[in-house]
Amino acid sequence: MSHHAVRRLILIGLMLALSALITAINPVFLSSGNLLKLLQEAAQTGIIAVGFTFVMITAGIDMSIGGVVAVTSMVCINFLHYTKVPIPVLVFLSLFVGALTGLVNGYFITKFKLPEFIVTLATRSILSGLALVIAVKDSLGFVQNVYIQNDSYLWFGTSGLFGIYRTTMAFLILGVGAQVFLKHTRTGTNIYATGANPTAARLTGIDTERTTIGVYMFSGVCASLAAVFISSRMMTAMPELGLGSEMDVIASVVIGGTAFSGGVGDVWGTMLGSLFLALIKNGILKTGISPWIQPIAIGGIIVVTVIVDVWQKKLREHLAARAKIKRLSAERGRDAA
Amino acid sequence: MATNDIGADLLLECRSITKSYSGHVVLDAVDFSVRRGEVHALVGENGAGKSTLIKIITGATGRDSGQMVYDGTVVPMEHLRRDAEALGIAVIYQELSLIPGMTVAQNIFLGKEPLRPLTRLIDVRKLNDQARDLIERYQFPLKPGDLIDDISIAQRQLVEILKALSGKASLMIMDEPTSSLTKTEVEMLFKIIALLKSEGISVLYISHRMEEVYSLSDRVTVLRDGKLVKVLDKEEISPEEIIRLMIGHKLEEKAVQHELSPKGGNVVLEVRGLTSVGKFEDLSFDLHEGEVLGIGGLVGSGRTELVRALYGADPFDAGTIRYLGKEWVPSVRKSIEGGIGFIPEERRLQGILATQSITRNIGIPNLDRIAPRGIVSVKEEDRRAARGIELLNVKPPRPEQLVGNLSGGNQQKVVLAKWLVRDLKLIFIDEPTVGIDIGAKEEIYEHIRALSARGVSVLLVSSDLPELTRLSDRVIVLRQGRFFHEFRECVLTGEKILRAASGIREGDDE
Repeated sequence: MSHHAVRRLILIGLMLALSALITAINPVFLSSGNLLKLLQEAAQTGIIAVGFTFVMITAGIDMSIGGVVAVTSMVCINFLHYTKVPIPVLVFLSLFVGALTGLVNGYFITKFKLPEFIVTLATRSILSGLALVIAVKDSLGFVQNVYIQNDSYLWFGTSGLFGIYRTTMAFLILGVGAQVFLKHTRTGTNIYATGANPTAARLTGIDTERTTIGVYMFSGVCASLAAVFISSRMMTAMPELGLGSEMDVIASVVIGGTAFSGGVGDVWGTMLGSLFLALIKNGILKTGISPWIQPIAIGGIIVVTVIVDVWQKKLREHLAARAKIKRLSAERGRDAA
Repeated sequence: MATNDIGADLLLECRSITKSYSGHVVLDAVDFSVRRGEVHALVGENGAGKSTLIKIITGATGRDSGQMVYDGTVVPMEHLRRDAEALGIAVIYQELSLIPGMTVAQNIFLGKEPLRPLTRLIDVRKLNDQARDLIERYQFPLKPGDLIDDISIAQRQLVEILKALSGKASLMIMDEPTSSLTKTEVEMLFKIIALLKSEGISVLYISHRMEEVYSLSDRVTVLRDGKLVKVLDKEEISPEEIIRLMIGHKLEEKAVQHELSPKGGNVVLEVRGLTSVGKFEDLSFDLHEGEVLGIGGLVGSGRTELVRALYGADPFDAGTIRYLGKEWVPSVRKSIEGGIGFIPEERRLQGILATQSITRNIGIPNLDRIAPRGIVSVKEEDRRAARGIELLNVKPPRPEQLVGNLSGGNQQKVVLAKWLVRDLKLIFIDEPTVGIDIGAKEEIYEHIRALSARGVSVLLVSSDLPELTRLSDRVIVLRQGRFFHEFRECVLTGEKILRAASGIREGDDE
């Protein structure tokens, strides 16, 4: 069994153990209502994290996702408040916001060879300001809290079959689709190659620049999609919506086994990671621990995960070195004989 | 159709290839050719121009002038990596270019995966089948579904070879393919090369290891200082002859031979059974006061790893070190405080702070003197920098000059100055004159000699054979991480060192 599979099994085992522990303290955890909520929580972060996974596999990082969520939700609020645009058109427009942001990110990163972190951090700042600028204002110029009353738009945030939230369904469909895309298309392969070894990728004829621009666009689209679901569920949106969600997204992806160094990881892992994170958050609430602990726990989990991954890698290298020494000494023994 | 007509049988023909980097000629009108289905070795010392020639053939760099014909096609001056690949030129690099998280099959067919006709999704079964066919054809110990992460370096190299073969390569270039392989793995590689040859694929082989070149090659091209020295045919190939050609004429050899005279005196550094798993093994030697002990060996023989461990930059697994008679567990901080200096290889990466001034660069390892309480005394820092600049004749002698803007030779002088302004007892020097002009080289040699005359012990690692020969009082040659030979009290020549480094035992040293 590969070490990736081992890592995944450990994560699943840990989740089961945590679930048992939380249930023991508060049986309400296992109620269908809570579990459906938990899945929905996981889905909201997870949808963004799927796009982020693509970026991280190319060894990049997208800090602009929070800004994309904020701007997208403000765009939606504006259209809902001032116009009667059909909802499918509105959703298309909102996804366009994310795609455009990703295009800009990708363009600056590839054409000007700028560091991903700086470019997307700048984009985040610009978008967060833009969200405030376009927010619906009252006569005094204060940001107005617009309540969404359009039933077709609110449909996204509600639950459907078996009480499963549509956000959760969307997350599942997106996740499966993205996983298949990564593992079973040439473009997916290109994404891994770009992250693992850009020089080798280019020598194999892969257009790494196009691949890079593509993943940032996908990341933006995912963030915009999440914005639609989140604002629909909240039935409103503030210009700060999504800002600060970067931490949860990064945590989900890292816990899922995608490496910052690129070339490794997949969407299954990220889906598990976002579920793990939602479990931790839900568990903190259900066991009566102060919710202020949440960010501390998330930061701690990221650090621990990275430490464990580094440690696991060292162990593997050490074992490989030992095995080689053994082979070498066996050869010497044969030579001597 | 194999014929014996040599002219018609050339796969690759290069005529008077010339290349220079910023005025420095690295290839001077070199003729080079590879026949169809032959194993051709390219040999030469470091800096002879081997890698530049390979880069030109593979399109990794351009040529200044000269013609190139491949498989009957004239290769234009504008020859890119992708063009070379299309022609059928494949390279197996030392640093492997595989994607670690993917399977063997995915890596072999990267960018040319078979697709399902309707969905355009990758046909994984077909991909694995194709990979399995290829693996079985060459009988490699690989499975299509294995992750690159989980297989050995040798197996990864096989994947690289298959990747090249899947692209219908007609020339396979192998750059030091055996440097990280065990003996069994090397034997397997040799079988593979024979197999490739029998299929009519030409192999261009670059290696420092004489026995390999000797046992494998149909022809050998020897380069020296950017010039073609000779092309040897099968019957002319012998390790002695190759080394003689690599080093140069007897006349030049005279100039660099050197009477060794080991120094007695107090033992400064005593190393016993030092081992670092996978890097070097069971090394023992003494270093005396004021002695220059040269460490010879091929790239990858563990020399750099040894000095790094002795300095405290890397940990080691077993063995003991005594410094000035006392038990010594090295750490960088202890080394500096204890009067030990270190000049690393890769000046730009490890030696200098390019964006900082000469003063700062010289100050860094001397902070214990110029900032004893944590606050830098600018006066003391300037004083030391001025002394270092004067002592080593750094040009321009402007302390505020950024080191990144200096020439290579002056950068290295600054690195040396860092240590010369301190009280040293021992210094480790790794490849001190790579990429430095002759004048600066001689100056650096003078300083190394002056150090030794002052009683400072020097451990010198160098691939520059004349340099090692001229500076050392005694030379130890390492081979594959182990002690191979010691030269003392004899007339040393570069040829002798290279023979030892290549694994040729002297009958009996005179």
